[in-house]
Amino acid sequence: MVNKKPFIAMLLAGGQGSRLGALTKHIAKPAVSFGGKYRIIDFALSNCANSNIDTVGVLTQYRPYLLNTYIGTGSSWDLDSHDGGVAILPPYATETGGQWYAGTADAIYQNLDYINLYDPDYVIILSGDHIYRMDYRKMLRTHIDNNADLTIAVMTVPWEEAPRLGILAADETGKIYDFEEKPAKPKSNLASMGIYIFSKKVLEESLIADSRDADSEHDFGKNIIPTLLNQGKRLFVHRFEGFWKDVGTIPTFHETSMDLLEAEPQFDLMSEDFPTLTQDDSLPPHYVGPKGSVDRAFVANGSIILGKVEHSIISTGCTIEEGAEVVDSILLPDVTVEKGAKVVRAIVGEGATVKAKAAFGSADANVPIAVVGDDAVVE
Amino acid sequence: MDRVIGLIAANFETKGMGELTEDRTIGSLPYGGNYRVIDFPLSNMVNSGINTIGLITPYKYRSIIDHVGAGKAWDLDRKNGGLFVLPGSVFGVHSENSHFLLRDIRRNTVYLERSPAPYILVTAANVISHMDYRPLIMEHIKSGADITMVYNTADRDEAHRLGVTVENGRVVGFKPNPRKYEDAMLDTFVISRDLLMKIIEWYAAIDYLDFFEAIEGDLDKMDVRAYKYEGYARQMFTSRDYFEYSMETLNLDVAAELFSRERPVATKAAEAAPAKYLEGAKVRNSMVSEGSLIRGEVDHSILFRGVKVGAGAKVRNSIIMQSCVIEDGAVVENVILDKSQVVHAGSVIKGTGDTTFIKS
Repeated sequence: MVNKKPFIAMLLAGGQGSRLGALTKHIAKPAVSFGGKYRIIDFALSNCANSNIDTVGVLTQYRPYLLNTYIGTGSSWDLDSHDGGVAILPPYATETGGQWYAGTADAIYQNLDYINLYDPDYVIILSGDHIYRMDYRKMLRTHIDNNADLTIAVMTVPWEEAPRLGILAADETGKIYDFEEKPAKPKSNLASMGIYIFSKKVLEESLIADSRDADSEHDFGKNIIPTLLNQGKRLFVHRFEGFWKDVGTIPTFHETSMDLLEAEPQFDLMSEDFPTLTQDDSLPPHYVGPKGSVDRAFVANGSIILGKVEHSIISTGCTIEEGAEVVDSILLPDVTVEKGAKVVRAIVGEGATVKAKAAFGSADANVPIAVVGDDAVVE
Repeated sequence: MDRVIGLIAANFETKGMGELTEDRTIGSLPYGGNYRVIDFPLSNMVNSGINTIGLITPYKYRSIIDHVGAGKAWDLDRKNGGLFVLPGSVFGVHSENSHFLLRDIRRNTVYLERSPAPYILVTAANVISHMDYRPLIMEHIKSGADITMVYNTADRDEAHRLGVTVENGRVVGFKPNPRKYEDAMLDTFVISRDLLMKIIEWYAAIDYLDFFEAIEGDLDKMDVRAYKYEGYARQMFTSRDYFEYSMETLNLDVAAELFSRERPVATKAAEAAPAKYLEGAKVRNSMVSEGSLIRGEVDHSILFRGVKVGAGAKVRNSIIMQSCVIEDGAVVENVILDKSQVVHAGSVIKGTGDTTFIKS
């Protein structure tokens, strides 16, 4: 017997994030390291923990191994409860065969049994791809107050970004009357953040209907939301004011990371009232040697800095040897920059080594940011 | 190593630590920028495959129980075995500087009786090392000795450690105040459970004795062997020990051994972002822990989690415990700063290093 959970979360973490290139060659985008000691999925999982959601299904598909090990029992986010907790939900087989998740909606459809196990009234659907802090309880309040079938978290974006996003139009009560996925000529600049709260009954009915539609791409944005809108269901927006970023491309990943270094950053990693939780490895503090220097940087535990660091993020367990320089760069965990090497405007993958006296990256803003993948060796 | 259970004596008390241990015990002293002293013996046991560990708590047990909890950080929250918190003698005869009170073990014989493991590894909580206990245990089992005791060469004249006389690999006597280069106990030994139970029985009437005092007269009757540990090991008894040994962790070789990524030292998890350096930060030869925010200068110092160093502030040759704030322009030199202290803007605190401890 499983206890009823009124509000549960389903976290979509199966995306490859192919626009991150070398960084997602071996791991899924939600598993990519961010902010020195976090992984992108930590932000959504921490939001769940900080919103008192204790039942989270994590849907994985693309190269799930690291993600599965990383999430483990969920104890890093205090989600290792007897009742609920984190469940990893990869595609599975039944007596009629198994198949990959065909789309975001299909992934949830295939796990309706998991959802029904907890008999929830509301289900929040999240993506493991975004950097933000959000109290989902406030969004649930909006949903309940509007007696909505579906509530979509939205934020205003610059008009030039609108054609790349799901764009909504809502009246003054927040009721949605129009939705367009990636419109060429957007009618509004209110963008969906890919965060949905469904009343469970509506979710179940719409997913079952969608699964029978041979023409559907089984996607929330392309299929489920337009269908519900056409059916005249109660769809509302929940306006979000804070910082939210999809770090899905190398330039945005680099830019968002560099902004963390500001004295007054848009997104403050050091905020204590809504902490970002992550797997802690009990590493020793970082060490700066007698000839080392660090200026405007984030440095995580376990790193050893004997050379020069300027305006960079040095993740856990990195070593920067004497005479080496790291400028305007992001070193992901366990990178070694050997003696005399120079790393400028670059992202260096986990476990990579920049060999002695090598030069990687260019200070020229017209040259793309240099990226090298996990475990690479830069000569 | 399911044939061995561990016993950590964390109730050692000494006046030598002064105010450092006024509200906590040696075991719960913050150490190495991110740890507590107890993390070292506890992690060493777990990393040596010992999964049943009794922790004899001191009189001031709050801080240590708060830290170890159910043993989750060391994977000791288990169905089989795990961490057992054992009460130490609270109102017993307090023998200053005693190492292992027999009374403490006697009070907790249930812990020893319950386990089927034939061997017990006993260690004091105040030993900082990265010792792998497995070779010690193997040697003990192979030799068939009654007790195998760990010792090393004193790295300086020791007023508090117990000297040991070793002849042909056997312990033949103890003596106080070992000099530099002499052999000294590391307060770590393996003993068979049956023998330990017998010793407790024999000395039941005089259980205020220290274990070493008790067996001293029987060294010629028992097979007590010596095991020399060659790795880095320090045993702390005074605030001077604490300061000097802490500063040794700024040596890269010492740090590489103590904080090895294989057999890592585990500690209670706490959340903090990486340390942030803003314009004006100048850090040299120092350890800086997560959650710290640096705008000033830090030289030859250890900063624990969440320490803020303001613009133009200077921290030299100091240990700054977690959540301290050194405001703009303040100067802190040669001191140990207790948790959550605020050094106000422009003020200057200069100590003598080994003993100057600031708490509210």
